[in-house]
Amino acid sequence: MGFTETPRTAQAGTVESMDCLVTISASGERRQIEISGGGVSRFRAAMEQKINQVLDGLGSSENIAISVQDNGAVDTVLGARVEAAYLRFRGVIDA
Amino acid sequence: MTLNAVNRDIPSNIEGYGNTGEKLFAGAFARNPEGCRASARIRSRGPNDGGKFLGSVREAIAASGLKSGMTISFHHHLRNGDFIVNQVLDECARAGIRDLTIFPTALFGVHKAMLPHIQSGVVRRIMGSVNGPVGQLVSLGGLEAPVVLRSHGGRPRAVIAGDVRIDVAFIAAPTADIGGNVSGRAGKSACGSLGYAFTDAEYADCVVALTDNLQHYPIAPISIPGIYVDFVVQVGSIGDPSGIVSGTTRVTRDPLRLLIARYASKLIEASPYFKDGLSFQTGAGGIPLAVTAFMKDAMKRRNVRGGFGLGGITGYFVELLKEGILKKLMDVQSFDREAVESISSDPRHIEISADWYANPWNCGAAVNQLDVVILGATEVDTDFNANVNTESDGALLHGIGGHQDTAAGAKLTIIAQPLLRGRIPCVVDRVHTVTTPGEVVDAIVTEFGVTVNPRRQNLIDACKEAKGKDAVPLVPLDELAERARRMSGPMTPVRQGDRVVGVVEWRDGTVIDVVRQIFPENISS
Repeated sequence: MGFTETPRTAQAGTVESMDCLVTISASGERRQIEISGGGVSRFRAAMEQKINQVLDGLGSSENIAISVQDNGAVDTVLGARVEAAYLRFRGVIDA
Repeated sequence: MTLNAVNRDIPSNIEGYGNTGEKLFAGAFARNPEGCRASARIRSRGPNDGGKFLGSVREAIAASGLKSGMTISFHHHLRNGDFIVNQVLDECARAGIRDLTIFPTALFGVHKAMLPHIQSGVVRRIMGSVNGPVGQLVSLGGLEAPVVLRSHGGRPRAVIAGDVRIDVAFIAAPTADIGGNVSGRAGKSACGSLGYAFTDAEYADCVVALTDNLQHYPIAPISIPGIYVDFVVQVGSIGDPSGIVSGTTRVTRDPLRLLIARYASKLIEASPYFKDGLSFQTGAGGIPLAVTAFMKDAMKRRNVRGGFGLGGITGYFVELLKEGILKKLMDVQSFDREAVESISSDPRHIEISADWYANPWNCGAAVNQLDVVILGATEVDTDFNANVNTESDGALLHGIGGHQDTAAGAKLTIIAQPLLRGRIPCVVDRVHTVTTPGEVVDAIVTEFGVTVNPRRQNLIDACKEAKGKDAVPLVPLDELAERARRMSGPMTPVRQGDRVVGVVEWRDGTVIDVVRQIFPENISS
């Protein structure tokens, strides 16, 4: 059928209140982070720090883009969603 | 810059508002009125002067003498179903009228249609709440003059004291007769109480009633008599009924909010006010409504007969009236269909004006008789100051409503709120905007328990006396604030400009805080 290979993308989370939807896909650059939604105006720095901390902890060194659509997730939730999305991206766990 | 009594730096002169020197907030009950009430122009319509009936908004604008630079007022009883504000502004634009000050009792999402009129200069200034896209525009500095925010009681005070002179009041009237008598009780756009419109009708230099239900003279009952009304205009429709009244408001089923409501109810039960004649206001929010439900159980269990229910009235309050748990309802705004039906049929359900409801400068507003009020807030600080106006990104998106008035009037003012909204803490070291000063906030109730203002030692003692299943879980404020900090993590401060985009008046007309301009990258989307 001639499908071209789509870039690998993995997701975790929801857009429910106090949650976030994390999408990780292959990227040209190393670890691009994009955050939108509720927490941005007051928590961007804290969220970036958490995302980096989780990915570093998992030994991530590949070129990926992380997009977070936030609806008020606290750090523990954000960290869990990033971890799940990353492990799915790597194929370690099922989507 | 000078600090007011809640430690806010208020510029001594605010461009587009004026000098604040004599008008710095000095305490909840510090300022007293002087002199006489303001007055409206005397008009006369004799037996040979012809009728006051007009066939269109355009004719009414011409007949009213409305000119560029004037102040026009509206009530918000049609809420998000209102067609009148947009119709009047569209016609003003067509007639080439500009630089208007609009003075609504509140604005809703539907009024985003005024954006082009702000951009083109038809609307120069807003004195009243802003929200949605209009609020965003104002927050980003899109309006030259600052928005002036007043409470439901502060607004009629400003009119009666002469701070604001209304040139033309446009009153959306669900029912009217040819003589200008007006009522909100009947018609396809029925909204129940017309409480917010009364003072405007009495004090405006010209009053235009707009109706889609014109009846023979006289209608009965009458809310606003035709002696105040210059013109009656028949329009196709004043509003969309589905946006005017909501369906039945339901008690929340969210366990977290139910827990908060349970704690608030325990606090009320433990307080010295839980006795025969208990009066309260709870509004239409999820938590307050659940508190009402718990209180109803407690009142039945302990055989306490209530007094009156006040404020925005819901079907839930109507039920309490019918069951004899409350004896009277005092209604400035009927929220749902049940409330509209009840005010139309039950004489114990009383229509009151905003002046009567909440004005600090009359011989005794209804809020002064209130035992308990349950309120919300976007944030509360360690001085118990409450913010209901600005969001966590600093955007001015909410009006004051009756927050200040009921807090000042009630013997027990409770702010009931989850500790976090999303990741945003509702208890902080310093609120972004002070709407209501901590001296009139008695307790904060969250899912972690009840935090009583240390100014209210009697209440703390009463809570400690409650034992067993009536025990009230007390949490000191420091502990609550620390918990909020731990859960939410470090917050980046809001970047603000110097320009004042909003002035928050305390109900006595003094400046309690100002809202400053924010920038596009701030805004949470």
